[in-house]
Amino acid sequence: MRHFLILLMCWTPFSFAADTRITREGLDFYLSIRTPEQTNAFYSARGLPLIAVQEIAKSCFLTVGLHNRSTDTVWLDLATWRFTDANGRAITRISLPEWTARWQALQVPLAAQATFGWTQLPETRDMQPDETVGGNVPVVPPQGEFTLIARFPTGAAGKGKPIEISVRGLSCPRDGVAK
Amino acid sequence: MKPAALLLIGLLAIGLAQAAEVKPPPGLLKLDGRPAPALQLADMDGKTVNLAQLKGRWVLVHFWASWCGPCRREMPTLPKLINAFPPERLSVLLVNTAESDDEVFTFLASVSPELTTFMDRDGQVTERWQPRGLPSTFFVDPQGRLRYQALGGRDWGSGAYLAFLRELTKAK
Repeated sequence: MRHFLILLMCWTPFSFAADTRITREGLDFYLSIRTPEQTNAFYSARGLPLIAVQEIAKSCFLTVGLHNRSTDTVWLDLATWRFTDANGRAITRISLPEWTARWQALQVPLAAQATFGWTQLPETRDMQPDETVGGNVPVVPPQGEFTLIARFPTGAAGKGKPIEISVRGLSCPRDGVAK
Repeated sequence: MKPAALLLIGLLAIGLAQAAEVKPPPGLLKLDGRPAPALQLADMDGKTVNLAQLKGRWVLVHFWASWCGPCRREMPTLPKLINAFPPERLSVLLVNTAESDDEVFTFLASVSPELTTFMDRDGQVTERWQPRGLPSTFFVDPQGRLRYQALGGRDWGSGAYLAFLRELTKAK
């Protein structure tokens, strides 16, 4: 757990209040939703220009940490994660390629684009036994509460029984108030 | 020579080859031996390095950033590793990912003043290497091929890693 927490500190200096922690079938899952003030401070401190920080503030950032404590390979594939609102409507995740397109349109320097990319949870990744992965997952802010269903295929070829983690009652903070 | 004798010799050769391979400590991911991507960068004083010119020795390529917590903890352990090997046997190249000279200078001065780093100013060299995160360290063999990647940070001065690297860098 120590290395897992150290990894999370790589991505965020924020407090761990109102966080979600779930362990299922050898996979530790951590999630925390950031306030606009937190993302503003986080990315400003990493040298992103104001125009990029302002763009980031329009989105809702979930910080996710994963630790594969099993003896098998666990796969991360954000394309298979489902975010839905209370009415079952899909909530849009903003992928790294979409951010790259935004940064290019806003003429954000390559160094800032690279730094931003390293703070994001990888789009796809095999997680080896005892490996940790962490980063941010941005979504278009929904009006009310929403649910995340995250599936993690297992096995060297990803054909093993998937691990499924559901997190209900999530909400994006407004006016700097984390729920 | 009889087929049975040939088979025996073959099995013996395979066994010896396996025995010769050094077992890595936990946290090192074995790679497939593909050629290392190009790496040609300058440090803050303008001194350049070209990985292609370092063939014939093992090279550790270490990607880092000062904003990354595990990088900050790992950095002070690197001098012990660097000082344990002559550079013609094992060279360690630090590559800072997408930070300014001011940020890097301030950070290194406070943590490990003896360390120097090459600067990937726009982050594009790091992108080409595709590390699994920061920090990340690649082991490049004397033929310029990727052999291992360290997952996350660690104490490079620990006995397990130094012993592994001593064994690894014995055989070219």
